[in-house]
Amino acid sequence: MLTKLFEALYNKVFVNIVVKRSSTDIYIELCSKNGVIDSDQNSFETQSLSGEVIDFITSFTKESPYYYISILDMSTEQGAFPTCAKSRLSYFYDVSASEHKCVDDKWTFYTSKTDIYEIEKRYHKIGIDFIFSPFTLLSNFFQDKITTNVAMYILMQDSFVSLSVFENGVLLYAEHLDMETSGESEDILLSQEISDEDEVSLEDGIDLEDVDVIDDMEDLDDFGDIEDLDSLEEIDEFSEHQDIEEEFYEADEPIVESDDTDFNEDYQRFTLIQTALGHFYNDDKYESQFIENVYIADGVGVSNDLKRYLEEEMYLNVYIRHVELGIELSNLAKMELD
Amino acid sequence: MKYSYITPGKKTAFTQEIQLLLSFFTITILMLLFTYTFLLYKNYTFVQDKNSTLRELASLEKSFDNMKVSISFIERQQMLSEKVYTQNSVLKDSITNLFDLVPLRITLSEASLLENGLILYGITPNKDVYNFMLQAPLRSIFHRTYSSFYPAKNGWLRFVSTNYIDEEEELSSED
Repeated sequence: MLTKLFEALYNKVFVNIVVKRSSTDIYIELCSKNGVIDSDQNSFETQSLSGEVIDFITSFTKESPYYYISILDMSTEQGAFPTCAKSRLSYFYDVSASEHKCVDDKWTFYTSKTDIYEIEKRYHKIGIDFIFSPFTLLSNFFQDKITTNVAMYILMQDSFVSLSVFENGVLLYAEHLDMETSGESEDILLSQEISDEDEVSLEDGIDLEDVDVIDDMEDLDDFGDIEDLDSLEEIDEFSEHQDIEEEFYEADEPIVESDDTDFNEDYQRFTLIQTALGHFYNDDKYESQFIENVYIADGVGVSNDLKRYLEEEMYLNVYIRHVELGIELSNLAKMELD
Repeated sequence: MKYSYITPGKKTAFTQEIQLLLSFFTITILMLLFTYTFLLYKNYTFVQDKNSTLRELASLEKSFDNMKVSISFIERQQMLSEKVYTQNSVLKDSITNLFDLVPLRITLSEASLLENGLILYGITPNKDVYNFMLQAPLRSIFHRTYSSFYPAKNGWLRFVSTNYIDEEEELSSED
């Protein structure tokens, strides 16, 4: 009773931390019963909890005893499954070393226990109250779309791509991809391919007898099928599935011009999405659905090239919404407290 | 928690600063209460003492009044006693003077003092002795003197002398 009274008297301070590749973004909201009174944000060129960061946070948290510090989970070993049944979890992933949570008895998100311990240890000076998964953030951000559509939803961070497929509120597939580790492995693969090709051309040239004609012919048949898609009827069918409302929304968003660094990163993101989508289609563990629409929560400022790639190379309808990760974290924290 | 992997730390409005402030106020209020209680107690005892003193004062005043009454009574008694003493002295002198009047040859057997007179009973050898030696001084003192005789067995005469002082005459003589 007394606690409720004090809680009503004080304002609440929501501190939201998003750790990026080389910086830490902090977004702060000061809320009363009626809503947000004030907000502030700052970016620090460090990933650790420096004195400067502590000073910035404590300058707000000292204003009220009811402060809540949230952080977006940056663990590489996290993800989500399309089930809540404990017996089925091991079918997707060994969760013995993971912390997992079930959402609405429909899907589960998980992360490494070690990483949670690591986050708590790293921020023990200020005390972390909430650690949120990018998947909960994503599902909350696209709440209006998830319950009614079959689509792929992607959260773009500067180091991570969190990808999920929802069909009418039910998760079908999810993957959390680290751009740095994925990029390195891909680079290795590309270099291996190039060296193999070099060997072929240098030593023997192309021996036509070695080419499997039957297989190639099958591939050509597939191309023949693709030709059918060029008919106007099929294009009209695709256009019916387009999200007009989202296109209007997207029209208001400023178009980001890309430079070389952005282009490389966006290409990397495109590759990751392409690979993940292939994984979703091919892996028997997941209930496959044909994806036409992709909704991107852009937390990093992706260029228009990514959208173009996805639309031209993968025939997807792509809708990009800008997301302020700090604000979304704050919303999640408020939802947790309600 | 529905979305967060961890539960938030317990938040309380009773921070260290608030606890210190509350302790300070609590101690201050306790001290004020203690002082107030002490003053109430002192006030109560003061009122009790005052009532007791007032009662004592009333008692003393009453006692003082009684003493005044007693003093006035004693004064009156003293005055009365002085008066009686004076009267007795006067009476004594009168009696002494009376007995001085009686000659040796006359013997008194009884004397009765009245408010305004004197009755003497005695024996005299004869009337002349009585008339010249006793009746003459009595006549000088009293306004009216009556004597009666009757013989005794031995040949002497018993007498009864009744003497009165008339007050009116005395007052006029005083004037």
